[in-house]
Amino acid sequence: MSILQPNASVRGLPNADPRVASSGFKLGEHHDPYDPLDVAHPAAPLSRHFHPYEDNGGTVLSVSGGDYTIVASDTRLGSGYSVPTRYVSRVIKLTDKAVLASSGMHTDIAILHKVLRIRLTQYRHRHRKEMSLEAISQLLSTILYYRRFQPYYTFNVLGGIDENGQGWSYGYDAIGSHEKVRAVCSGSGQYLLQPVLDNQVEFRQMAADPTRKELQLEPCVELVKDAFTSTCERDIYTGDLVEICRITAKGVEMEKFELRAD
Amino acid sequence: MEDKNCISELRSPLRVECVDPYRALSIADLDPNGCSQPLRNQRVSSSVSLIPAMFLTRSEYDRAVNTFSPEGRLFQVEYAIEAIKLGSTAVGIQTSEGVVIAVEKRLNSPLLVPTSVEKIMEIDLHIGCAMSGLTADARTLIDHARVETQQHRFVYDEPMTPEACTQALCDLALRFGEDGEDHNTMSRPFGVALLIAGVDKDGPKLFHTDPSGTYVRWKAKAIGAGSEGAQTALQESYSSSMTLEEAETLALRTLKQVMEEKLDGTNVELAAVTKQSGLFRIYSAEELKQCISRL
Repeated sequence: MSILQPNASVRGLPNADPRVASSGFKLGEHHDPYDPLDVAHPAAPLSRHFHPYEDNGGTVLSVSGGDYTIVASDTRLGSGYSVPTRYVSRVIKLTDKAVLASSGMHTDIAILHKVLRIRLTQYRHRHRKEMSLEAISQLLSTILYYRRFQPYYTFNVLGGIDENGQGWSYGYDAIGSHEKVRAVCSGSGQYLLQPVLDNQVEFRQMAADPTRKELQLEPCVELVKDAFTSTCERDIYTGDLVEICRITAKGVEMEKFELRAD
Repeated sequence: MEDKNCISELRSPLRVECVDPYRALSIADLDPNGCSQPLRNQRVSSSVSLIPAMFLTRSEYDRAVNTFSPEGRLFQVEYAIEAIKLGSTAVGIQTSEGVVIAVEKRLNSPLLVPTSVEKIMEIDLHIGCAMSGLTADARTLIDHARVETQQHRFVYDEPMTPEACTQALCDLALRFGEDGEDHNTMSRPFGVALLIAGVDKDGPKLFHTDPSGTYVRWKAKAIGAGSEGAQTALQESYSSSMTLEEAETLALRTLKQVMEEKLDGTNVELAAVTKQSGLFRIYSAEELKQCISRL
C-alpha cells in the first residue's frame, strides 16, 4: 500500500484537517492507480477486479450430409503463449446419435459436459427412452441460458442424426442462442475455418452447377482433415491432434488425426 | 422393454403389462378391477390368527395418513380409493387409432347448467384426462400435469410422453402428508382417480392412476360408482382391432348400462386423442349427439 496522500480520508482514521495538512508531495509519496488499497479518491469505493474466465482456445466443427454428421475438435489446450496440454478431449458422445464438441474455457467445458451427461441419464430414467438430437439441442440451449448472467464460457457445436435418419448440425453462442445448419464451426479457428465450410459444404460463392452433389462421408472427412491442417498453420490455439467423430446409423466412430505440434 | 418385468398374474385381460416391478406389489393390485370387496372382511380373514385382537380395531391406525397398520396397510389411502367408488363413472378405451374417454355427469337438478360440470380436461395438446371421485382434487393434479408438460416442452422442445406425464402426476399424488414448501402438497391423499389418454411415438396410450400414486396401463378401464359393471361390459366387448368409432360407441353404450339417469347429450362427456392428428379433443355437443345416435 502506498503512503496516504494529503487530505486523504480513510474510514477509521481521523480526517486530516485541510488547514494543518501539509501541501504538495514529499519524496516517496506517489499514487498508484491500480492499487485498490491506495485511497486516491476518498469518495470512490474500494474495488478489486474479478476475472473468472480464461480462453483456452480450440477449434470445433460439425458438418452434416444426408445420413451422416462429422463432429471434430482439436485437442490442444492453450493458455496465453503456452500450451499446458497437447491432449484434452473436447468432444463428448451424448448418445449413439449425438455428439457435442465445445471450445472456450476448459473447466467450463468439463462441467457443462458433466451436467449434460447427468441430464441425459435422468431423461432416460424418467422417460424410458434415449433423448433425440432435437431434444438435446433444446436442452443444451436451456442449460446455457440458465447461466445468462454468468455464462459457461463455452462455444458449442452439436451434431448427429435426427429421428428420420437425417444428419444435422447445431451451432451455439455462449448463452444458448442456436441455429440448425449443415455445417458450423466455433472456437479460436472459427474465422479461418467457417468460410472453407461455407464454400465446400454449402457451395456458397460458387457458380450454379446442376451436376453438383452433396458431399459424401469419406470425402467430407478428408475435407475436415485439410481444413484443420490449414487452420493450425495460422491459429496458435489449434493443433497437436484432431478427434474426428463419424455419426451414422451404425453409431459413432472416432478417428484421431495428427496436426502440427509446435 | 415392456415385457421384461411382466408379472405372471394378470387378473384382467384388459390390463396392459406392468412395466415397473414395484408396481406389481401396490395397493391397486389388490383390486385390479376396481371391485369393491369390503376391505374390512379381507383384513380380518387374512390375518386373524396371528395378530392380537387389539390391532384389529381399525381406529388406531386410520387417523394419521402416514402410519402403517401392523398388517402393513395405509388406511387413509385405502379410504381415498373408496371415495372414488362414490364418484360418477368414467370409461376409457384404447384402440390402435386412438383413445376414447367418456364420463357420466350427475345432473341432480334441472336448474343446474350441464356445461359447467367439467369432468374431462385437456392436459397438453396430446394428453387429456377423465376423472372420478373428488373432482376438486383433480384440479390440483391437472394443474400440476399442465405445468409439467409445458416445462417439458420448454426444456426439450418436444411433447412429453403420456407415461412420463402420468408418472409426474403420481409423484404428486404420493406427496401427501409431507410439509414441503411446495403448496401443491396435501395433508391427505387425493380422493380422485384419473384416466389419462394420450399419444406418443409408439401410438395411443391409456393410463389409470389412483390415490395410492400407482399407475397402470390399460386397454380399457372403467372407474367410479359403476366401474364394476362397466368393467365387465368392457371386458366382454373390447377387441384390440376396434376402430375409434366403435370405441366411441362402446364407451357410450357402457356408460348407458351403468347410469341411473337416461343417457342424453347433456349428461355425458366424450373426448378422444387420435394417432392421426396427435391431438386431444373434447367432442362438441353436435359430435356427441351424432355418437349417441349410433347407439
